[in-house]
Amino acid sequence: MKTIVGVSDMKVSNNKDEVLITYSLGSCIGVVIYDSQVKVGGMLHYMLPESQIDKEKAEKNPYMFADTGIPSLFKSAYGLGALKSRMKVVVVGGAQILDQKGFFNIGKRNHMALRKLFFKNGVIIDHEDVGGNVNRTIRIEIGTGDIYMKTSGKVEEKL
Amino acid sequence: MSAIKDLIKEIDNLKPIPAVVNQIMDAVEDSKSSMTDIAEIILYDPVITANILKMCNSAYYALPRRVDSVHDAVTMMGLNQVVDMVLMKSGASNLIKGQEGYGLHEGELWKHAVSSALIARDLAEKKGSEHKQMIFTAALLKDIGKVILDRFVGDSFTKIDDLVKKKGFSFKEAEKKVIGIDHAELGGLVAEMWDFSPKMISMIKNHHLNDEAARDDLETQILYVADNVCMMMGIGGGADGLAYRFHRDVLKRLGISPLDLQEIIASFGSEMKRVEELLKVI
Repeated sequence: MKTIVGVSDMKVSNNKDEVLITYSLGSCIGVVIYDSQVKVGGMLHYMLPESQIDKEKAEKNPYMFADTGIPSLFKSAYGLGALKSRMKVVVVGGAQILDQKGFFNIGKRNHMALRKLFFKNGVIIDHEDVGGNVNRTIRIEIGTGDIYMKTSGKVEEKL
Repeated sequence: MSAIKDLIKEIDNLKPIPAVVNQIMDAVEDSKSSMTDIAEIILYDPVITANILKMCNSAYYALPRRVDSVHDAVTMMGLNQVVDMVLMKSGASNLIKGQEGYGLHEGELWKHAVSSALIARDLAEKKGSEHKQMIFTAALLKDIGKVILDRFVGDSFTKIDDLVKKKGFSFKEAEKKVIGIDHAELGGLVAEMWDFSPKMISMIKNHHLNDEAARDDLETQILYVADNVCMMMGIGGGADGLAYRFHRDVLKRLGISPLDLQEIIASFGSEMKRVEELLKVI
């Protein structure tokens, strides 16, 4: 069973037959977590770094922002019995347009927001494929914990 | 150069924009024509009328009651929205197919077109442009060149990709270098053959800001920002990815700060589910 994680969306699962997939991450970031002991996985696709630009939207949809979406992802996985200490963490996306520098570089700011949050909370990233000028699609098979990434114009690779 | 001649010949294979669409666009731009004039043009086209009603009654617009006539549609939604619908319907036939050369599945280029048109319209409203309909149309059709260039990009993909990945070319610059023409320029030629207005031709041709002078044009600036927002959001993102040039000075001239850019993304992001509904009925 394939479940699509949309833009500004999050899903967690312990269904061994389920595959979570999110398509076409541009400057957005996809965070995938997996605890192999309890076979619980989760995926978040957020668009922007900080919820303070629109608190109302963040309340309606916390998955739009890094600072509200990431805690939500982890908490939902904990709810299914996952533990932070056992979690595999994969981060992809955060691409940028050529010459997109400074504060306009939303891909980079998305990535910085995540790193800040992970650093504060002692989360270690196992695999990261971030930046560049490409679109990425990522999926995880909940039964095995296998994670695959496809960069546009290339074949899918196992991470 | 014979390759370019072949490409231009292929413009004839596109489904032509129905004459009624050109009529409507001319009427919208002409300050002398009234709302009734425009509604009349639409009324005489049964296919367009049927499509408008279908779109009006879709979940995207979530109207309080059923729309049964063009007159109803115009009263309830305003003429601009109705004209947008006509334009979307007429753009779909060429853009909906997958574009393998660009790594786009069926519907992806179309989703990008509609999304950037909606973002551009919103921005045009905020920036007080007098050419909202033109901006909407240009955003919808700006990548029409990709439909023709697709096969050629597919054939030369490795060369193009090498220039992008190893030599710092933008995807458009690489298209030009390898094929001899890029999708924006080719889109401009299509617009010319379809008898679009000179301003519209220029907007399509310059949606990546090829021409320095185009960077001063408000409507082209808006179109450019809408396209960039879609790229960042990964909407209809293909093998060309985000490999286009970002012109910060143009955003500044348009009065868009980094925070404004994030707000545009947040606000369109909240609309995405509704847009999916709209795409189902076009």
